[in-house]
Amino acid sequence: MKRGLLPPALMTVLILALGAYAAASQSAFLGRSNLNSLLLEAMPLVLVSMGQATALLVGGFDVSVAALMTMCVVTASFTLTPGMSTAALFPGALAVVGVGVATGTFNALLIRVFRLPSIIATLGTLSVLEGASLLLRSYPTGTINTDVTSTLTDGVSFVPLAFVGVVVLALAADAWLYQSSGGLAFRAVGLDATSSRRLGRSTGRVVVLAFVVCSVFAALAGFYLAAEVQIGSPIVGNEALESIAAAVLGGASLAGGKGSYVGTLLAAFFLTEINNILPLFQQPTEYADMAIGVLILLALALYQAPELASRARAARRKVRGIPSTVG
Amino acid sequence: MSNPGPESPVVLSLRGVSKAFGAVHALRDVSFDCVAGEIHALVGENGSGKSTLLGIASGFVRPDAGGVEIGGRRLRRASPAQARRLGLGIAYQTYSHVEELSVAENLYLAVPHDVQPAYGRMNEWAEAKLADFNVSVPVSAPAGSLSLAERQLLEVVKALLARPKVLLLDEPTTALGPEDVERLHALVHEQSRAGVAIAYVSHRLPEILGIADRITVLRDGVGQGTHDAADVSEDDIVAMMIGRPLAVAFPERRRPSADADVLLEVSGLAGERFGPVDLLVRRGELLGIAGAEGNGQVPFLRALAGIERSAGGAVCDGTALDTSSPLGPLRAGVVLLSGDRRGEALFPVLSVRANATVQVLRRLARLGVVGRSRERGAIDELVRRLRVRMSSGEQPISSLSGGNQQKVSLMRPFLRGDVKVILAEEPTQGVDVGARFDIYEALRAKADEGVAIVVKSSDPLELAGLCDRVIVMSRGRIVEEIAADALSERRIVEAIVGLPAARVGGSVA
Repeated sequence: MKRGLLPPALMTVLILALGAYAAASQSAFLGRSNLNSLLLEAMPLVLVSMGQATALLVGGFDVSVAALMTMCVVTASFTLTPGMSTAALFPGALAVVGVGVATGTFNALLIRVFRLPSIIATLGTLSVLEGASLLLRSYPTGTINTDVTSTLTDGVSFVPLAFVGVVVLALAADAWLYQSSGGLAFRAVGLDATSSRRLGRSTGRVVVLAFVVCSVFAALAGFYLAAEVQIGSPIVGNEALESIAAAVLGGASLAGGKGSYVGTLLAAFFLTEINNILPLFQQPTEYADMAIGVLILLALALYQAPELASRARAARRKVRGIPSTVG
Repeated sequence: MSNPGPESPVVLSLRGVSKAFGAVHALRDVSFDCVAGEIHALVGENGSGKSTLLGIASGFVRPDAGGVEIGGRRLRRASPAQARRLGLGIAYQTYSHVEELSVAENLYLAVPHDVQPAYGRMNEWAEAKLADFNVSVPVSAPAGSLSLAERQLLEVVKALLARPKVLLLDEPTTALGPEDVERLHALVHEQSRAGVAIAYVSHRLPEILGIADRITVLRDGVGQGTHDAADVSEDDIVAMMIGRPLAVAFPERRRPSADADVLLEVSGLAGERFGPVDLLVRRGELLGIAGAEGNGQVPFLRALAGIERSAGGAVCDGTALDTSSPLGPLRAGVVLLSGDRRGEALFPVLSVRANATVQVLRRLARLGVVGRSRERGAIDELVRRLRVRMSSGEQPISSLSGGNQQKVSLMRPFLRGDVKVILAEEPTQGVDVGARFDIYEALRAKADEGVAIVVKSSDPLELAGLCDRVIVMSRGRIVEEIAADALSERRIVEAIVGLPAARVGGSVA
C-alpha cells in the first residue's frame, strides 16, 4: 500500500510546485476566474481518465474513449437543444449516457465473445464512432441547451460542484478498490486472470463491468466537453492518449491490477494545469505536449524504481534448488 | 486407511468423457467416480490424460462428450466458479495464486462470498484458518514470495477453505520434502475421515499405495480400470501404465566407448526449481532425461543454456561455461532446441531459409551482406539429408508441419559445425510418426560426429529407443541413472513412479 501512495504524492507535489511558480510570476493565475476555469477545464480529462484507469485495472486499454466523448457531444446537440423543457431534458441526457452504455457493452462483447485484444477492439470502435459523429454532424453546428451547461458548471465561489463531486467519487472508488471484497476481486483479475478463474472468480463479468464503467465515465466526460464547446462538433475529443497518460501517472500499471482513482484525478488535473499555464506565459501549447511526454517517462522510471530494486535484490539471493532430498 | 462403505454417496462422477485437442485424443470415453470418504488415486504417464480429466472435472475444460456430476448435480457448463458452488475444491500443480497479492488476500478470494469475513478482519481470519490446518506461513506476505513448498501447502488449504465435498489434488507433493509430505497426507486422511471425497493425482506409486483406497489408471487417454488399492501391486500398476504399441523405429546405437572424453561436466548446478545436479556427458553420447512433468527437467536444461538463473557450474570441453546469459553457452557451442517451437525456437513469419541460417549469417556474409545463393547452397544439402518436406526455402516456416519445423530448427546446429552440445527439449512433440524417425536419425548422426546430446522427453518409450543412457529426475534432482543394457520403457516408468532398481530382474543395486 505504501508503494501505492507514491504516485498521488508526487502528483500533489507537482501540482503545487507548478501552481506556486505560476502564481509567483503571474498574479492572474490565482484569480478566481482562472481557478474556476482551470477546474472546469479539468473535468472532461478527469472523468475520462478515471474511466481509463478502470479499464487498465483489469489489464485492458480503451482507446475509443475520446471518439465516444465526441459522439456524446454530437448526440447532445440533437437531444439537448435550446428551448427544450426541463422534463424533455432528462430523456435527452439519458440518451447521451445510453450511448456510453451501448459503446461499453459493444467493446466488452468484442473483447469477451470474439476474444479480441482490447486495444484492437476499441480501435475498431473508435473508427466506427468517429465516422458516425461525422455522419451526424459534418461540421460543428447545433447549439447545446444552456440550462444544461450552466447546471453542469454550477459552483460555490470558484469551485464547481461537479469538481467536488469527482473528488468524492475518486475517494469512494479508491476505498472500494482497496478496502472491499469486490475491489480485491477486480484487482486480482488484472494481476492474474488465470489464477482468478482458478480461484473461482467470474473474470468475464469483471472485464465486462470494467469496460462499461469506462465508457460511462467517457460519456460523463462528454457532458463536460459539451459544456465547454457548447456546440455539436464532430472533431473535439482527443483525450485518448492523455487519459492513458493520466491513469499511468496516477499509478496505474499497463500490465493491469494496479492503480488509484485519486492518483488519476490528480494526474489529470496536473496535465490540465500544464495546458492552462502555458498561455499565461505566452508559450506555445506544443511545449505542453513535450513536457507531458517527458514527465510520463520520468514518472514511470520513478514508479518502477522500487520494483527494480527488489528484483535486483532477489537476483542477488543465491539459488539453492529444492532443499529436500527424497526419492 | 479410511473405509468408505459401499453405501457412501458418489460425490464426483465423470461419465464417458472424451476430449480432443486438434488431432490428439487426450481422453476417450473415460469414466471416473469418487465416493464420500475415499481417497481415489489417478495414475498414468505424462500425457495420459490426467490433467485433462482434472480440467474437465473442475470446469476448466469443456468435454467434447460426456458429463460431470458434483454432489449429485450436473455441471451444466464449463465454469470453475460453478464447479466450486457445487462443492468442488481443487489444488493445482501449477498453483492458482495471484502472486502480487498477500496470502490472506488469496485465501479471501478463494472462498465464496457468504463465507468471507469482514474485509478488515481478513488477516486474523486467514491466520486462524491456516492454524486450523497446521500450516504456518506469513499471512501478509505476497504469495509470490513464499517457497514452492509453502505455496503447495497454501494451495491445498485454499482448496479446503470452501469446505468442498470433493477435493482434487494434482501432484500435491512435487515441491515437498518428506516431512511436508507426511503433514499433507495427515491432512488428507483427516479430510477423508470427515467424509470428503478425494481424487489424488500423482505419479509416485509408493505414495499412492500408501494413501489410496482405490486406483484408476489412464493410458493414452483410455481408462485401464479402477482397482482396490489392496488388490494391486506396484508391478500391476506399471504394467497397466505402459505398453503403448511401438509406432516408430529408432536408428541403430553405436555405443560410445566408456573412455570417450567428457564433453560436458555439470557440477552442483542448481536453480529455483531444480538441483543441485551433477552430470557427465561424453563425446558422442545421447543422454536422455526422463521424469514426471514439472520435476525440474526443463528448468535444468534452460539453466544450462543460460536462459534461467542458476548457481553452481558447468564445464564444456575443458572451459568453464558462463551460464549467466544465453550468449555464453551459445558461444561455447552449447545450443538449446526449445520445446516451445512457436514461442522461442522459430521466427514464425520468416522463411525456412532465414530460420535455418539465423545463427550463421556472419559466416555466409561477404562484407556484411548476406548472399541469398550462399544461404541456399548452405541449406540445400541439409534439406535433402533431413528430408524436410517443403515447396521452397522461401515459404514462411509457419506453413510447414510441426515435424518439418522441428527439422529446420535442427538444421542450425548442423550449419554451425562448431556445436559441441545439443540440449533438445521434447524434440518430437507434435511431430508425426513419419518425421520422428528423421529427427532421431539426425540426432544420432550428430552424436556420431562427436557431439554430446541431451534429450529431455516426456515419452519413456522414445527415450528407451533413442538414448545411450537415461537419467530420471524427481523433485529437481537426479534420482536414478539407467545404463544402456538396462534401458527399457518399463524401467524408465518404474524409476519415474519411484520403484527402486533392485526390484528388476533380481539384480541388486
